[in-house]
Amino acid sequence: MTDAERTAVEFTFAGAPVRAWSGDTVAMALWAAGHLALRRSSRDGAARGVFCSMGVCYDCLVRVDGETLRACTTLVRAGMLVEPGGKP
Amino acid sequence: MNAAADPGAGRVLDADVGVVGAGPAGLAAAGSLARAGLSVVVLDEGQRAGGQIFRQPSPRVAGCGAAPPSHRRGRGLLAAFAQSGARLCSGVTVWDARPGRLWFEQAAESWLVRCERVLLAPGAYDRSIPFPGWTLPGVVTAGALQIMGRAGVVPGKRALVAGSGPLLLPTVAALLGAGVQVVAALEASPRSSAWRALPGLLGHGGRRAEAFWYLRKLLGARVRLRSGWTLFGCEGEDRVQRALIGKVDAEGRPRRDTARSIEVDVVGAGFGLVPSIELGLLLGCRSRCDPRRGGHCLDVDGEQRTSVPTVFAAGEVCGIGGAEVAIAEGELAAAAIVKDLRGVPVPPALAVAAARERRAADRLLGCFPPLPGLCDLATADTIVCRCEDVRLEQTRAAAALHGRSLRAIKVGCRAGMGPCQGRICGPSLQALANGLPGQPADLPVVQVPVKPVRVQTVLDAPRG
Ligand SMILES: Cc1cc2nc3c(=O)[nH]c(=O)nc-3n(C[C@H](O)[C@H](O)[C@H](O)COP(=O)(O)OP(=O)(O)OC[C@H]3O[C@@H](n4cnc5c(N)ncnc54)[C@H](O)[C@@H]3O)c2cc1C
Ligand code: FES
Repeated sequence: MTDAERTAVEFTFAGAPVRAWSGDTVAMALWAAGHLALRRSSRDGAARGVFCSMGVCYDCLVRVDGETLRACTTLVRAGMLVEPGGKP
Repeated sequence: MNAAADPGAGRVLDADVGVVGAGPAGLAAAGSLARAGLSVVVLDEGQRAGGQIFRQPSPRVAGCGAAPPSHRRGRGLLAAFAQSGARLCSGVTVWDARPGRLWFEQAAESWLVRCERVLLAPGAYDRSIPFPGWTLPGVVTAGALQIMGRAGVVPGKRALVAGSGPLLLPTVAALLGAGVQVVAALEASPRSSAWRALPGLLGHGGRRAEAFWYLRKLLGARVRLRSGWTLFGCEGEDRVQRALIGKVDAEGRPRRDTARSIEVDVVGAGFGLVPSIELGLLLGCRSRCDPRRGGHCLDVDGEQRTSVPTVFAAGEVCGIGGAEVAIAEGELAAAAIVKDLRGVPVPPALAVAAARERRAADRLLGCFPPLPGLCDLATADTIVCRCEDVRLEQTRAAAALHGRSLRAIKVGCRAGMGPCQGRICGPSLQALANGLPGQPADLPVVQVPVKPVRVQTVLDAPRG
């Protein structure tokens, strides 16, 4: 995708609006917006976020329109509802 | 088979060759194969082709897309691939394989590639070593920070890069390109390693140009790569705010008396790469262990054929070596497959070129041997397995009770049993749990699916 083909995309993370560009992964868009903590560990409650950014570690799990996905391998779509996720 | 009985009928792609990975190895191979008249399907998890080095995210900050000289080769490779007629499926996960069969998940659908030959080019991922605070948001692998830097999305102004090996340089360069201040760049190996690496760098045309490009970037920004230093730990509230750095001895053992704290917004840590051999193991391919080249890698013959006759492998999965090796091995593998299917002999020059690139890579990587003392960075309550939140003391208890093997430790404390399937903690788990720094890891335990996919994907898998 060239810069000229990129369009502004807006979605929400944990209820807050996030502005991004088409072609961004959800992880990039959230980092750019300053959201580093993407979920909490189900065991000790500590904040977790992106770690490998290439689909290997599964630390970036979020719920996108109800489905648990890796933020770093998922592209942004206008209007998507992203919520903090949890490891299965 | 009766089509009505197979819920997956219709989601099958037939091809002469199925390729896993659209990095330099997979692209070079697929382009050559398609030009030789074979039908090729390439499967890759990334949203665009190029693999870990040539995949260019759309930059958000003007200038952050500045790329080193090697990327010109990457653009050529991508263009040649696009014109070759090979078919690319991006954003898909290969989760099961048999000789001649690759099952993959695309969006919410379950698909199968049926092919005469399989080529594995799944690359490698960052080698991590646990340290206190490595689970804090904002602490990522060196590779992740490079990816984010190239896209121009680095939250904050102060970045720290730490680890070992040549890949720290592109990470620092990517951060500088994104306008971020690199407050420290720490190479754990002793300074003598960098000096020993010089002849290998300067004696190889492509690497020399690349090294100069990076060094110019670092000098221009007055960033000094400090040898014999590393990251001891990270602290912060819900995100990293401070890093503890200090000197290490020649084996990588932290010298706690030298520790000092610095303020940071993001941290990238990477201690080399680990070959992605899981699919190869699932296919029954023989592996070999080469600590200099990333540990366990797939064993191939002089024409990139694995121990399974219809399965070939190329690139980092056969041992860490960089993009030049990956391209040369991809071209060689393609020629060997063309020989198999069309009877055209393999041009001897291809094997010579691959061997030459491998020797050059060995000379460079041999200067950054694994540092067993880095195992001492983790303390008793440091999380080792990020998926299951298993702490070092728990892994030690499991090893004492159940045994020293990878399998025994996993069963004993659930380390390595989460969704990453042990890719992150596995390489250092045994050394840590057994308190034996430098202990080589057992082969990873592979399972189907080799990466987590939807249950429905497994149920709907086309038969064949
Ligand atoms: C994050 C990162 C950054 C790097 N940056 C540089 C750099 O700047 N300079 C440099 O010289 N080297 C860099 N390297 C080293 C680099 O990996 C190699 O030089 C080169 O890219 C290796 O090529 P390859 O074709 O073997 O594998 P890769 O380029 O790693 O390509 C493998 C591809 O296979 C895909 N894949 C793997 N498993 C599956 C699966 N199950 N299903 C579907 N797809 C799959 C991956 O998504 C990937 O796109 C980097 C490595 C990493 C991990
Ligand atoms: S950050 Fe590792 S899988 Fe997304």
